[in-house]
Amino acid sequence: MKIGEKYAARNASNDDNMVPLINVVFLMLVFFMVAGQIQKADPVAVIPPQSINEARATTDPNVEIVLGADASLYVDDVLFVVDDIQAYLEQAFASSSNPDAFWVQIKADGAISLEKLRPIFNQVRLAGLTKVSLATQLERGNE
Amino acid sequence: MPLNLPQPKRKNAISLTPLIDVVFILLLFFMLTSTFVPWRLVDTPLSVSSDQQDPAQEKPDNLVLTLKQNDDQVWVDGQALRFSDQAAFQTLITDHNEGVFVIKAEDGVTLQTLMHLADRLKLNGAKTVSIANAFAMPESK
Repeated sequence: MKIGEKYAARNASNDDNMVPLINVVFLMLVFFMVAGQIQKADPVAVIPPQSINEARATTDPNVEIVLGADASLYVDDVLFVVDDIQAYLEQAFASSSNPDAFWVQIKADGAISLEKLRPIFNQVRLAGLTKVSLATQLERGNE
Repeated sequence: MPLNLPQPKRKNAISLTPLIDVVFILLLFFMLTSTFVPWRLVDTPLSVSSDQQDPAQEKPDNLVLTLKQNDDQVWVDGQALRFSDQAAFQTLITDHNEGVFVIKAEDGVTLQTLMHLADRLKLNGAKTVSIANAFAMPESK
């Protein structure tokens, strides 16, 4: 039957039509694999303050403090109370293999007000640590 | 005389559909997990001594800027200065070129406002901007 033959022919060539699609999909796959960086997700959503600052981290932070917009506080992905940070930092510093390079990263939401950050900085200071960095994001759009 | 051989059958390669399925899943994974905007870092070195001196009093050339609200204004020597006032910032910075610009903040000021001010100062040529004082506990004042 004519209709049947036509139908069969189209079916057979289906895969050939997909080759350009696969080409494109493969290209996208390679792009995202090479250009993107896979990062660990933060325990809370944080929109960091925007800044023109360009400095990047050369090493991974030894301790990461995350402060969300709702003032929820996480230290190394564990929910913390502010007063417990000092003990945790002291213990982390004591067990660090390279104390000279020990540094603390604070990821705080840009909308957080500074009086929420002060106790955290105070705890870090009480723990005797001086290398602290705040995370920012490059300003987009208006530069 | 043409041979009446049967047409060589085109070898049917493995179907591409499962391959595409897998590739699409990989693509989705990489699209969703990858980030293109790496975090930047602002160093805020802390002084260890608890009786920290006010850096504003150490050197006379240091300039204290105080943020009171998130209204894009900063107070310098009792005068309000708008962030958008480029000319005023420039004169301020050329007047205190060798000093440290110490930013202080009152309660309620957001981190973003603080960063905006630090950016403004840097963009207008300030060499040393200190934001660590904005994070100092108020009782040390």
